Amino acid sequence: MSEESAVAIDIGGTFTDIVLFDRRRGRIHNAKVPTTPADPSAGFMAGIDAALGAGGLPASSIRQVLHGTTVATNLILESKGVAAALLTTAGFKHVLEIGRHDIPRKANMYSWVKPKRPVPPQRVFEIAGRLDPAGNEIEKLDEAAVRDAARRIRALGVNAVAICFLHSYADARHERRACELVLAEHPQALVSISSEVLPVFREYERSMVTILNVYVMPAVSSYVAKLEERLQARNVAAPLLMMKSSGGVTGAATIRREPVQTALSGPAAGVVGAMFVGEASGHGNLISIDIGGTSADICLIRAGDPGVTVEGRVGDWPMPLPMIDINTIGAGGGSIAALAPSGGLTVGPRSAGAIPGPVAYGRGGTEPTVTDAHLALGHLTPYLLNGSMKLDRPAAVAAIEQKIGRPLGLDTMAAARGILSVVDNNMVGAIRVVSVERGHDPRDFALVPFGGAGPLHGGALARLLGIRTIIVPPAPGVLSALGLLVAQLKSDYSRTCLQRPLDYDLMRIGRVFAEMEEEAVQWLVREGVPPEGRVLLRQASLRYIHQGFELAVPWPDGGVTRDALDRCMAAFHRRHEQLYTFAQEDTPVEIVNLRLTAIGRLERPTLPRIAAGRGLDGARIGEQRVESASGVAPWPIYDRDRLGADTDLRGPAIVQQLDATTLVLPGQRGHVDDHGILIVTEEN
Amino acid sequence: MTNPTPSTSCDPVTLEIVKGALRSMQAEMEAVLGRTAMSAFIKEKKDFFVALFDAEGKLVLGSSLPAFGDIMTPIFKRFAPDTMQPGDLYWYNDCYGSDGAVSHSPDQVFAAPVFAEGRLSAFSQSWAHFNDIGGMRPGSLSPDATDIFQEGIIIPPIRLMRGGRWNDEALRIFLRNSRFPDQSKGDVRASVAAVRLGERRMIELFERFGRVRVLDALAQSMDETCRFVRTRLATTFKPGTYRFTELLDTDGHGNGPFRIRLKLDAMADRLVLDARETDDQARGPVNFIMNADVPKMMLGQYLLSDNPGVLTNHGALQALDEVLTRPGSLLKPNFPAPLGQRGITLIRVLTACQGLVNVATGGNGMASSAVYVIYYLRGRDPRTDDTFLLTDGIAVGYGARSFADGIDAVYLVANENYPAEFLDMEYPVRLRRYGIFRDSGGPGRWRGGCGVVRELEVLAKETMLSNRIDGVDNPPWGVNGGRAGRPGRCVLNPDTPQERVLPPLADGTIVRAGDVIRLETGGGGGWGHPFDREAELVRADVLGGFVSPESAREDYGVVLVGEECEIDETATAKLRAKRPPTKAFHRHDYHDVLT
Repeated sequence: MSEESAVAIDIGGTFTDIVLFDRRRGRIHNAKVPTTPADPSAGFMAGIDAALGAGGLPASSIRQVLHGTTVATNLILESKGVAAALLTTAGFKHVLEIGRHDIPRKANMYSWVKPKRPVPPQRVFEIAGRLDPAGNEIEKLDEAAVRDAARRIRALGVNAVAICFLHSYADARHERRACELVLAEHPQALVSISSEVLPVFREYERSMVTILNVYVMPAVSSYVAKLEERLQARNVAAPLLMMKSSGGVTGAATIRREPVQTALSGPAAGVVGAMFVGEASGHGNLISIDIGGTSADICLIRAGDPGVTVEGRVGDWPMPLPMIDINTIGAGGGSIAALAPSGGLTVGPRSAGAIPGPVAYGRGGTEPTVTDAHLALGHLTPYLLNGSMKLDRPAAVAAIEQKIGRPLGLDTMAAARGILSVVDNNMVGAIRVVSVERGHDPRDFALVPFGGAGPLHGGALARLLGIRTIIVPPAPGVLSALGLLVAQLKSDYSRTCLQRPLDYDLMRIGRVFAEMEEEAVQWLVREGVPPEGRVLLRQASLRYIHQGFELAVPWPDGGVTRDALDRCMAAFHRRHEQLYTFAQEDTPVEIVNLRLTAIGRLERPTLPRIAAGRGLDGARIGEQRVESASGVAPWPIYDRDRLGADTDLRGPAIVQQLDATTLVLPGQRGHVDDHGILIVTEEN
Repeated sequence: MTNPTPSTSCDPVTLEIVKGALRSMQAEMEAVLGRTAMSAFIKEKKDFFVALFDAEGKLVLGSSLPAFGDIMTPIFKRFAPDTMQPGDLYWYNDCYGSDGAVSHSPDQVFAAPVFAEGRLSAFSQSWAHFNDIGGMRPGSLSPDATDIFQEGIIIPPIRLMRGGRWNDEALRIFLRNSRFPDQSKGDVRASVAAVRLGERRMIELFERFGRVRVLDALAQSMDETCRFVRTRLATTFKPGTYRFTELLDTDGHGNGPFRIRLKLDAMADRLVLDARETDDQARGPVNFIMNADVPKMMLGQYLLSDNPGVLTNHGALQALDEVLTRPGSLLKPNFPAPLGQRGITLIRVLTACQGLVNVATGGNGMASSAVYVIYYLRGRDPRTDDTFLLTDGIAVGYGARSFADGIDAVYLVANENYPAEFLDMEYPVRLRRYGIFRDSGGPGRWRGGCGVVRELEVLAKETMLSNRIDGVDNPPWGVNGGRAGRPGRCVLNPDTPQERVLPPLADGTIVRAGDVIRLETGGGGGWGHPFDREAELVRADVLGGFVSPESAREDYGVVLVGEECEIDETATAKLRAKRPPTKAFHRHDYHDVLT
């Protein structure tokens, strides 16, 4: 029997995490190598080699390579994409500049400055030709204008071209023809058309997402090419699958065409990992929080389903593509504590980042951070990463005293607790946005804290929210890589199909679903998914007549019948009530979009079982003075790697491992299960 | 170290937590209202706001739009707080009865008391502009109106819910008075759901930290905002008397221009805004009942503009100690003068307040902004044979600032446009053009924001158009050497033999299938001498279609050559050597003082 494995690689700012699944033995191997910022593919390959070494497997055993990438995210957030051009309908040259013509709701009109668009108006070319909202042609496409624009774009040395014409969500013919013409005049061009990227109405949002797609395309393409080259050089013949914002993976060929699908690739992988660990411990209702150095990504998972939104944003821009509904806030271990001009204590969103980092890192940081507060209070030991990194506690304490404590008239430890309290409450606010705000009571959920700093905050966050169960993954620092390994192939399809009440056209609904299913099956075939591994999920987006926002509800299994439609509507009323506090059964409902999600099942690992340890005492590696509000007390420190299956411990305790530290608070108890998952619960 | 703080007061950490909780509950309330509303004006344009108040009706957290008066007092006048019960909900749109807390009748206020530990402790409130509440024309507001009864049904402060039970009869009367009752019903439900959600979240906040501690946090956060405002105020307005006069063109009935005359008396510890010299009230609907809180908040938000950490609350209203208006004037009209187009006057008060800042600081404020433009189109949709009402708000240019260009193509805080695809889909029109109105931004070291051109073809057989543009005769002024913005206009069938420029404030224009309506909207004033603007920025503006090559040469002294608009350094230097003299303000010409 030949060796078979799958490998997942998550590239972070400092480290590249690799998880390898040995399919034959059912084992998972972790590895960590330094990230190589100049050429991340070097770290990528070194990591794969390290993991293969750890697992004793040859490169030829690899059947799938799974990867999450922040290339697109960073280009968008830092406005560093390629020079791009846009073809737009005549009369709409300033579609991007005008946007939705609003001063953002929370902005101050006296100081707000409109953010600079990724494409300036001089690279927006107007093309005559017009469709009506039903997709009928009312003016022919001006082909000469397209050719002329293409020549000018070529002369400018611009190779990235987006095409977005009005009403192309209803009919793609003008965009497709324009694409052909551009390529004929400008063969080097990378062209993206809006009817492929996002066939949904609202021209500003659709134009922007199409532009962002080409804006990141060259960098993502060459990145993907480099990864494939490295894999080939190592004789890895397996397909490279990339994580999309929607939480599914897809082949590199799709990502080259639609790189903007990876705008939230990294955080999505973490959510999938959290779901996997939750499932392994028997929990389907989860709130995941990934706390890194500068930000925290929060997601609510209901009955194993993380909500997917089409109204997200990335940086300043709308991102109406399906993405896992993740709420990101600027709060992490590196978040800086400071006094506002008004005198209040604020933490974040400014971050000390990796450089200079917290004061305690001794790399030049002078402003106290969340990590410094943890160190001052004794939550962290004065060394990280198994002693490879020394922390300077006196410097952290001095910075907190000088910058926060003295000006506020608080003693230093109270100031440190204040810093944590503010950051914890910021995170709680962000968790409420994804839970209570959407009609869910966080107390019905288990919290999954991960990322380097997640398990330090999990206990306190759970208490603030009334959550009674905290699930700390076996390796909280590499959960995103694990998420990649267990992700499924996924592709989303959507069509605007407006159906007004009393006159629902079931034939048309059936036809639209069938069209999308045909497209989906073609994709599944291309990805090599056998028929038994294919799943197609239908959804309809509904709203009350006159409303402007839709809610997606599953279309019942079976055919497109009146009964199925009625059940769909009933589900819509329930969902509206749950989300918005009221339903309106006296009001007609209209169908706006039909959606289809295609899933290709990949063979997933199960979390391996760990051996029983040598009891709690065998894992105890010391103790440390911790300053809590009720006074100073010694807290025992346990080595997570020595906590075997079925071990119980009581808070207070500090559980240390290579990539994370977990705080078990007084009044909480911990239980290590068969998979090495640490479940923390309240004692009463 | 001793900690003298008694347990009832709120420590700095809890204070930040309460502030964060207030912000997130406001965001939640907005989400519910926006997502469930039914009229396009609320769901797509998003003309709604929510706020929280304390038990005395002091603002705890408001919006970034300084357009609201003292919202709770009108309710207290009718319903004593000690008669209120959990589950109550109050409602009004009565402009005169609320002394301008709301300033035109389509704006519906809903508010609910919040009880904690058995005591009245706060209020949750929403505000939304309803599509149609009756009145002389669809959309309720018309430049033709000559009294407020033509602008729709008036709801005095009433109790819409008692102990959680609806007063269905009151609601039925209201809905019967709307031309689009289904949409209004949906909008009422959305508004009430938002208020109820705010009520629930406030109760949770009180339960979590205790009533007294939360109330103390609210008081502290008001103090915090107030301290900040007062400190800024002292450096902005040195003791003295400052005057500024702002103009609006017309009331739509052949009268105008109207002068808003503001005088600010700054004393060591007291600031009084005196608007009594403002012109008499108008026959047409440009009257604006200026609730004292409105200019207070306009100045307050300006003074807070570089400090996002403090809340927009009652403390921001401490920017002024007293506001004086004269009954019978444009800013304190006598009942029942019409108010429907008061948006013009509101924005002119806002720019007049910036005029005062400029006078007091030697030009450190913002230049004047154009007034957001709106048109109404009413008729029958040939696709469905139903009547339709299109109320389309259009962006303008805002005034330049001492640190940045004026904002291009914006309407107002939070309000969004109707996408072309939405318009084409929902109404019998086709949007033909929607772009930057070139050269509309006032030239300056910092350029005034540009307005837009929005042009649509009407597809319905016969429609009636109402349109509103201000600043046609008196465009937004520039400051510190910056020049005025260019005015806008509304044209029917432009560039054809049938071309007709419409009066800027008009109703009753009949527009037929195939006719084209073009609106060009005004730009904001510039800031600083245009010759001081970097030539590269001028070039970028020319390339982007914001400034013409002619304006670059004549207004900015920048000579551009060739298709790529390269800067001719020599010719530019030569032009810029002859620097035209300037004065403090510019409108038509440079002036030391605007009168």
